[in-house]
Amino acid sequence: MLVYTVRRVLSSIPILILASVLTFVLIDVSGDPLSDLRMQQPPPDPSVIQLAEERLYLDRSMPERYWLWMTGIGGHGDIGLLQGKFGPSTQSTTYDIGENLMMRLGTTLRLVGAAMVFAFGLAVIAGVVSAMRQYSKLDYSLTFIGFLALAMPVFWFAGIIQQAGVGFNELAGSMVFATIGDGQFQAQGLDFWGQIGNTFKYMTLPTIVLMLTSFASWSRYQRTSMLEVLNSDYVRLARAKGLPNRVVIRRHALRTALIPLTTVVAVGVAGVIDGAILTERVFQWRGLGEFFITAVEKNDSYALMAWLLLSGTMVIVANLIADLLYGVLDPRIRYE
Amino acid sequence: MHKRRKALALAAAGTSAVLALTACGGGGGSDEGGTKEVTWVINSLPSTWAAISSAGGSVYTVQMLSGVLPYTGQWQPDGTYEYDLTVLAEEPKVINDDLDAGPFQYSITLAEDAVWSDGTPMTGDDLRVTWMMGASPDEGYCTTCDPRSTTTADMIEKIEVDGKTATVTLKEGLADPEWMGMFDAHNVAGGFYPAHLAEENGWDIDDPDQLGEYYTWLHDTRPEFSGGPYMIVDGDLENQVVKEPNPEWFGEEPKLDRIIMTYNTDEGTFINAFQNGEIDGANPAQYSEDIVTQLQDMGEGVTLTIAEGNIWEHVDINLGNEFLKDKELRTAIFTAINRDQIAERNFGATYPEYELKNNHIFGSDSQYFEDHITESGQGSGDVEAATEILEEAGYEIEDGTLTLDGEQVGPFRLRSTDTVVRNNSLQLIQAQLNEIGIETTIELTDDLGTMLAERDYDIVQFGWSGTPYFATSAAQFWDSESESNFGGLANDDVDEAAEGSATALTLDEAAVKANEAVAAVVPEAYVLPIMAEPNYFFVNDRLANVQDNLQSSYRATYNIGEWDIAQ
Repeated sequence: MLVYTVRRVLSSIPILILASVLTFVLIDVSGDPLSDLRMQQPPPDPSVIQLAEERLYLDRSMPERYWLWMTGIGGHGDIGLLQGKFGPSTQSTTYDIGENLMMRLGTTLRLVGAAMVFAFGLAVIAGVVSAMRQYSKLDYSLTFIGFLALAMPVFWFAGIIQQAGVGFNELAGSMVFATIGDGQFQAQGLDFWGQIGNTFKYMTLPTIVLMLTSFASWSRYQRTSMLEVLNSDYVRLARAKGLPNRVVIRRHALRTALIPLTTVVAVGVAGVIDGAILTERVFQWRGLGEFFITAVEKNDSYALMAWLLLSGTMVIVANLIADLLYGVLDPRIRYE
Repeated sequence: MHKRRKALALAAAGTSAVLALTACGGGGGSDEGGTKEVTWVINSLPSTWAAISSAGGSVYTVQMLSGVLPYTGQWQPDGTYEYDLTVLAEEPKVINDDLDAGPFQYSITLAEDAVWSDGTPMTGDDLRVTWMMGASPDEGYCTTCDPRSTTTADMIEKIEVDGKTATVTLKEGLADPEWMGMFDAHNVAGGFYPAHLAEENGWDIDDPDQLGEYYTWLHDTRPEFSGGPYMIVDGDLENQVVKEPNPEWFGEEPKLDRIIMTYNTDEGTFINAFQNGEIDGANPAQYSEDIVTQLQDMGEGVTLTIAEGNIWEHVDINLGNEFLKDKELRTAIFTAINRDQIAERNFGATYPEYELKNNHIFGSDSQYFEDHITESGQGSGDVEAATEILEEAGYEIEDGTLTLDGEQVGPFRLRSTDTVVRNNSLQLIQAQLNEIGIETTIELTDDLGTMLAERDYDIVQFGWSGTPYFATSAAQFWDSESESNFGGLANDDVDEAAEGSATALTLDEAAVKANEAVAAVVPEAYVLPIMAEPNYFFVNDRLANVQDNLQSSYRATYNIGEWDIAQ
């Protein structure tokens, strides 16, 4: 498996390079990073624009810029992926793209982590229950909830959850749920229980939104997978041998039925980390989603490149993990 | 039954625990426990800790620094100008405005008791260092400074300092009718900066490289200094800043114990956050009919004001187009456009008091306002008059298509950015021009700057940001040499009046010239002002002395030192 892993990692490098070339070209032709500066009123002095062009390497050709962005050779010491530098930003002369990206990744992981754990747990339970009680009222109810959560636009759903939180607070006469912010500043100086309470206050609503949107699709996967397994010969055999239903479900059916879901979740989590944009926006968490939106708004091409690179890396790693999980969970699959 | 009771008891215990725990977490906008605290929204993230630079400078940075930077004066909400006589010993004086006798000179004297938060007295050096950082790199004072605007600073030849007094001398032959704005709340920095901190950190401000380092440090470092009623005690550029009273403040004692300025980029969250007590108010940059409606429906507990903002929308024509070179055609186009319909569609529902903009430079509340548009018939939507103009110029409308010598006129590319207001507007203009046989295709862009710079349009709608300082506006918009004169107008009368406005000795004289420029540009049918986009502001009624100031980038925070909790 080690050889397989190394081979997969190595084979992903050209994919990443190709992706980086494509995205660099696309971003480069999509707009002028200095368009906002040029539109300022009164217009800045030409020497200021020239300074900005030099700082952002816009005085060089596109291939030169790409080479610089990869290697940093010939730059001002602020660029070069191979040196761990993501390049200058249009947002300010002192904006460190790498540092900010990592900070934002941490925030997003904090938000996504809890949501994914809950979503996975709920999806497994709902999927299994739905499959075991196929066509029952409970199955229909869970199916309805799943489709409802799938169909609702995230920004709208998030707004509804926010309003529900406000309504609950009004009933409780206290701010149990906060609707904006990640609560990091509010956590300063609090004792252990205060920290727990603060985390609950700021994380609950966005976690519910992210959790339900992921739960919806995952529970459908789990239901389908479970139904397939429940109708398989070896489960029928287990039942015929007189094993209690609980044991059949837990030890024989569920384990096998989890395999497809696990791999879907592995890839899905990478998608959610990238795709928490709307949830982060509505709840004002400064995560990767906000990083991406700001980079687009400010025509910050190097920041966008960094985001896309991280995003691409996460998808590749998630796919690798999914493949490896197949091998771990299903003894019939072996990687040579 | 027993199980159910147990479950209920558990749920109740859980809820109590949650309530108890979350109560520990505190909340924004409260004045519990005797602490007078306010949470105010800044509508976007400030990119840097200083507002001078082109990359980081924005109204959000300026608002984040409210109550921290001292300044010499500012425009009030009613359009009058007031010097800050807490910071100043006396009103600044013009020493010489006779350019034949010598260079334009003025002096500023800071108050004797004016000190920074570390106790260091404010001096003329603070004004001097702010000027040097605000000048273009070509001036040679600062190697790496990249100020977002250098017009006023670059006019200055030197600043001589004598303790609390700074004497400013402009370059030979130059006059600045807006000289009082050099160090006021509306300048490129939003106030002025301390010089002594550069020295304390080992930088010589007279060394261009070292001044550049100080400039970078100011943009990169959370200010621990203050020359205003409040100082920043905590915060970052991602979430919020926390301000508390500056113990060394030499003016009237601020009323609040703490102000949290939280950055919120999504206006859609304002209502919930306001109802939840997480924010006390905001002065958003964009008008949102949806939010305004919700605030209007809220009724008690909130004060909402809507007024004409500084961004004004206008329709411009590219004179590089072979058809649009014809002034008569342009005049007919502008006459056919119905500005009232556009404003009504965009703002009528929530702001029926909207006003059409009838002067490119002055708002209707300005003492210098003169209506140059109404009489011209431009923007009236008078299809009959437009058709008449066209027919007199030899055009014909055949089967609903405008032709000249049998050839179709157009179609024209009608362009703008993809916003609700502009989308509505373009659709209406398209329909209005269709009535005089002109076919247009709507093309949206997300890169307005490039589109304008490359003149990649036939007819375009976009916005300019107005300011109480107007002297250079005409030159910027229409001077044949100006890079912002995107459509390529070249008119000697306009150039002369615009230059006269920029170099006038007094504001009154500049206003006369500015109005002359407007009067000369209207017959060109080159830029049609539509309306100023309204801005709204809302505040919790538990606060006192909070009001919007649309003359200033500081908006409602312009008088942050006077904010209080209502009794």
